[in-house]
Amino acid sequence: MFGARKVLQKSRLVPALFVLTSGCASIPPSVSELPDAAQAVELEGTPFFPQERYQCGPAALTTVLAMSDVDVALDNMVDKVYLPGRQGSLQIELMAATRTEGRLPYQVDGTLDAIWKELEAGRPVLVLQNLGVAAIPRWHYAVVVGIDAERSEIVLRSGTDKRRVTPIRTYLHTWRRGGYWGMVVLAPGELPATVDRSRYFAAIAALEEVGRAEDAAAAWRAALRKWPGDSVALFGLANAYLSLQDFGAAETTYRDLLDRDRSLLVVRNNLALTLAEQGEYDAAMEEIGVALSANSDPVLEKQLRNTEATIRRRMASGER
Amino acid sequence: MGLQRARGALLRLVSISIVCMGFAQVAPAGVIGTAYMLDEESRAASLSRIEVLLAREDVGRQLEAFGVGRAMVLERLNGLSNAELLELEGQIESQVAGGDILAVIGIVFVVLLILELVGVTDIFKSI
Repeated sequence: MFGARKVLQKSRLVPALFVLTSGCASIPPSVSELPDAAQAVELEGTPFFPQERYQCGPAALTTVLAMSDVDVALDNMVDKVYLPGRQGSLQIELMAATRTEGRLPYQVDGTLDAIWKELEAGRPVLVLQNLGVAAIPRWHYAVVVGIDAERSEIVLRSGTDKRRVTPIRTYLHTWRRGGYWGMVVLAPGELPATVDRSRYFAAIAALEEVGRAEDAAAAWRAALRKWPGDSVALFGLANAYLSLQDFGAAETTYRDLLDRDRSLLVVRNNLALTLAEQGEYDAAMEEIGVALSANSDPVLEKQLRNTEATIRRRMASGER
Repeated sequence: MGLQRARGALLRLVSISIVCMGFAQVAPAGVIGTAYMLDEESRAASLSRIEVLLAREDVGRQLEAFGVGRAMVLERLNGLSNAELLELEGQIESQVAGGDILAVIGIVFVVLLILELVGVTDIFKSI
């Protein structure tokens, strides 16, 4: 396919080799280290979708989605994430397409250890490689399905190779030039093997923003099992309830949050709207009033005033 | 006749938009999203990391040597937007991947970097 081979043409051999060798020393141990007891793992059941020219993004995404029980046709995926003009896909689009399939895309830590742990948990990892060099990049998406530390090998579904075996060292260099970028596909409610709280929460908040409230609710519940009583997770869950028009549950959760911390004005804002949705306009006005008098942030002020106006409007049309 | 057709079209349009509303679960107008709280949180975390740095005695001495008050730097830090704060942290982190920043690149440089990014100095741009 379009591999590193093509890059190393005669005229470019010398500078290319220089970059390759000078890159060798620069993989930090934090990236390459695996636990001493790391056993060889290979997810042999991972399906394989051989790519058409340049369409490694759709092929790789279809592969990891299939492992998360999402059945999509490669052709549909090509329409969604392939940019003909660029002859490739952007990471951000792979993540967006994952959300529309009802799954949560999570960017894993850029370490071999994080990949290994995901494989141990049964999840293949979609990775971005640069098979060329910095000056002549050859971006490529592939799926890591196996790691064997003893043999220093990594196994990929890559391009037209169903089982490409690459030395770990070589892989790490192509991955370094890809910014150590990799993602897994999680069913809502599933936690990644190595989880960074902020990054995981941001991933769920993105689900919320595209209107996948049910998926977001499941993910926030899982977050609350890991971080019980976490304010952001509770806020997220309450917001999901509100989007799903489960006003009672939303109200209870917002109140619960305010019992823990009275100063959370954004919570009070959403509580006021929830009360208004239930026709409790006086209570809603009281809550937004409390928020307005406690606030000193000009940006938030605008939001709160907006909410106040919304409640007034609803009150007027509701009482008519 | 024409009116009836128009009404029919309108009804279809209304039913389509109702279906759409049911499908995309949109929160009522004015709802503040979860991302807002996340941003606030990461801002607070960034600020406190930089403040810990500024609170060190050796950093304080260096600020003094430059004739800059710590309070003034803190005040300017609070005035940075979230994006600017992230950039500041990114700049500091890009100098060293992990480890003790001060030990690796030196107090003077860190202090200068902070001063530059909060807008007290304008050294690096002129180089």
